[in-house]
Amino acid sequence: MIAKWLGKRLIMGTLVLIIVSFLSFFILQAAPGNPATAYYGGNAQTLTAAEQERIEKAFGLDKPIIYQYGTWLHEAVQGNLGYSAKEGRPVLTILLERLPNTLQLVGITLFIVALTSIWLGLYAGLNEGTLLDRGLSIFSVASSAVPPFWIGIVLIIVFSVQLGWLPSSGMNDIRGDGGLIDRMRHLVLPVIVLVVSHTGIFARFLQDCVKVENSSYYVQVARANGVAHREIRSAILRNSIIPYLNYVGVTIPSFFGGSIVVESLFGWSGLGQLLVKSVMVKDFPVLMGGILIIGVVVILCLFIIDIIMIVLNPKLKRGAWQ
Amino acid sequence: MRKQRKISIFWLVILCIIFTVTIFSSFLAPYEPNAMNMNHTYEAPTPTHILGTDQLGRDVLSRLLVGGQVTLLIAIVSVVISSLIGILYGGISGYFGGAVDAVMMRILEALLTIPSLVIVLAFQAILQGNVWSMALIMGATGWFVTARIVRSEFIRLKESEFVQMAIMFRTPIWKIFVGHLLRNIYPAIFIVILFNFAGAIFTEVSLSFLGIGVPPATPSWGTMLNSAQNNLLIGAWWIGLFPGILIFVTILCVQMIGGAFKQGGERSHA
Amino acid sequence: MLKLKNVSVSINNKNLIQHISFTAPEHKITAVIGESGSGKSTTISAILGILPAQADIQGEIFWQDSNVLAMSSKERSTVGKTNFFTIFQDAANSFSPTTKMRKQLYMFSGQRLGHKEELFLSKMSLIFKDLDLSEDILQRYPFELSGGMLQRCMLACAFYNEPALLIADEPTSALDMLHQQEFIKLLKNLNNRLGTTILLITHDLEMAVSTAHSIVVMKSGEVVETGQASEIFEAPKHPYTKRLVANHF
Repeated sequence: MIAKWLGKRLIMGTLVLIIVSFLSFFILQAAPGNPATAYYGGNAQTLTAAEQERIEKAFGLDKPIIYQYGTWLHEAVQGNLGYSAKEGRPVLTILLERLPNTLQLVGITLFIVALTSIWLGLYAGLNEGTLLDRGLSIFSVASSAVPPFWIGIVLIIVFSVQLGWLPSSGMNDIRGDGGLIDRMRHLVLPVIVLVVSHTGIFARFLQDCVKVENSSYYVQVARANGVAHREIRSAILRNSIIPYLNYVGVTIPSFFGGSIVVESLFGWSGLGQLLVKSVMVKDFPVLMGGILIIGVVVILCLFIIDIIMIVLNPKLKRGAWQ
Repeated sequence: MRKQRKISIFWLVILCIIFTVTIFSSFLAPYEPNAMNMNHTYEAPTPTHILGTDQLGRDVLSRLLVGGQVTLLIAIVSVVISSLIGILYGGISGYFGGAVDAVMMRILEALLTIPSLVIVLAFQAILQGNVWSMALIMGATGWFVTARIVRSEFIRLKESEFVQMAIMFRTPIWKIFVGHLLRNIYPAIFIVILFNFAGAIFTEVSLSFLGIGVPPATPSWGTMLNSAQNNLLIGAWWIGLFPGILIFVTILCVQMIGGAFKQGGERSHA
Repeated sequence: MLKLKNVSVSINNKNLIQHISFTAPEHKITAVIGESGSGKSTTISAILGILPAQADIQGEIFWQDSNVLAMSSKERSTVGKTNFFTIFQDAANSFSPTTKMRKQLYMFSGQRLGHKEELFLSKMSLIFKDLDLSEDILQRYPFELSGGMLQRCMLACAFYNEPALLIADEPTSALDMLHQQEFIKLLKNLNNRLGTTILLITHDLEMAVSTAHSIVVMKSGEVVETGQASEIFEAPKHPYTKRLVANHF
């Protein structure tokens, strides 16, 4: 039964990837000039007529669009995403260089956001009417109204310019020899920005779920019979986590969107920054590849969340899903 | 509930003030927003330039007002577009159900998985951005959630008596859509549209800040923040502060108004 | 024994129950009858101390000659834990959907009494045999079991706890006929074997008359009549009781 459900999700994921690839391919098509020149960027002018013809044949530009898409997809699946119009290097290589950096940033942030928001949401929800409860509600609304990069700018001013404690951009000190501590120092500000701008809404969501659970029948029954508070709390959490995880899954795409902006602000050499650059210099192959990779990453994240859901949700475990 | 609605009037008023001020910015602005004056660069707020000047001597207040016009205009246009598409898509999917619904929903789920910023980015690369193309792109990529909500509302309402009766009487579909269904999904859509509006402001500001939104020459709250980035490091805090405050207040207003109308929200339990 | 003396509860100046006085004699089954809105649930909440925070309560509730309303909340919860156990109406929702029955039943019985899990398992398996419940229920989740089974699980916890006072708030309203009768049989069993004082809340007059020793009749937040079950059945005094009896029999 679980296999069936997972299978379904896998198919969904593949479908998404196909649509994403459609999008990517469409971008290449819509680029000014013909796709061949887009692939080879500014160098295209230097191509002779014969060379242009060769490229056209190679890309099958004289064939119908479906065929072109097919070839492109065929190539892409094998790892050939073309060459960067700006750098001339294989797109895949560039992407894979940047991927770990983004994963570092997003991974650490998600971890912190998850822990903090769950803890905050749980205690705020359980203690309705207290400062924590009201404070969290206010904080979540306020923090989601501020553009993340604005927080970033303020932090940079305070911690980099005025206090000089933390670096304002980049991932490593040019002078130093890198290392974990150095990387950590560079991570602090970007992570803070992402954490502050997302913890609020996640915590608030869990807070609402907890409040609902808190007034549910089984909690009243347990309380009436003097069941240990610790156990009741843990039961409330177990039941609230499921819709919470659902919400996290739904919000993950915008989370990656936010990381794009933060990467650019802090000069963090991740996929997001690459994407922005490629838009500015119109490096279409990189843009396409970048979109594809981000799609893959998001789908993987969702898949992981699905698996966690199976573990935590007994109805799924026992195959009684709706 | 009523108390919350009363509070939301306060926020509505503030929002209206912001809107009015930006709409009439051309009259209210003391200076030409793009008028450069190299003798008065980087001036902190003074009585002549209430909010100071930027690196090209342009009056911040004027740019703020006109920029607001741009940002809010883009946001409104994109929300109108996205709402129309969303209602249409969600309506068709929800009303007709069956295979049509299944296919449309799969596609929608797929679209929801891609970070919308990424899609907008991609299109920005193709269409050399100007204000209108940006609004169009944002509208074309912001309808997903609206569609989902509209669909679930249509599914819910389709079963209700008056709709069933209308169907029995062979009322033309478009009449059912407009007359019965649309009228009743107001509350649900209203909130979504509101939050879409806030999101649109966010998106425009983010993209312009990155330099791939509104052309940098055109004043908008986002482009102001873009130039503010460097200026802040020099210490010219006023260039970035005021757009930031205005963005924050506007989005806050929208959220507060929307929050007051929220019933319980959709939630899926174990 | 449980004795309520002049108990009144109001929320925001709205009276829920007024001047409630009755006694649930030791080792007997006392039924509280009333239709919905009569204040039965509020009375139970008052006894258990689970009224909403804004509620205002007057009067005295005696458990073995000590007024629980005059106790500190810590004292009171200790009294509750040691002496009371409550079975509620909706068995299906009495349990958390995401925890296995084994853990939950432990929470409701062994853990409350400070027993280790092994002790709980051995004791509970005996009770399960008595109640004709299969042991693999322990490995299941609540949504995999029927309402009748779940209510019997609750009853199993009651048997385990051997409370001095068992409160059953409409325990059979959500069950079908067969399970209703089974449940009542087990309830009587508990009273017979262990001498548990039982406070049974119900709207079912027949069940009250055939199960309980004494009956308390409630209407609109007040006690209108009390007496032995046979008295109420044969010679009801209050007009409301008369109407009830007439309509049912």
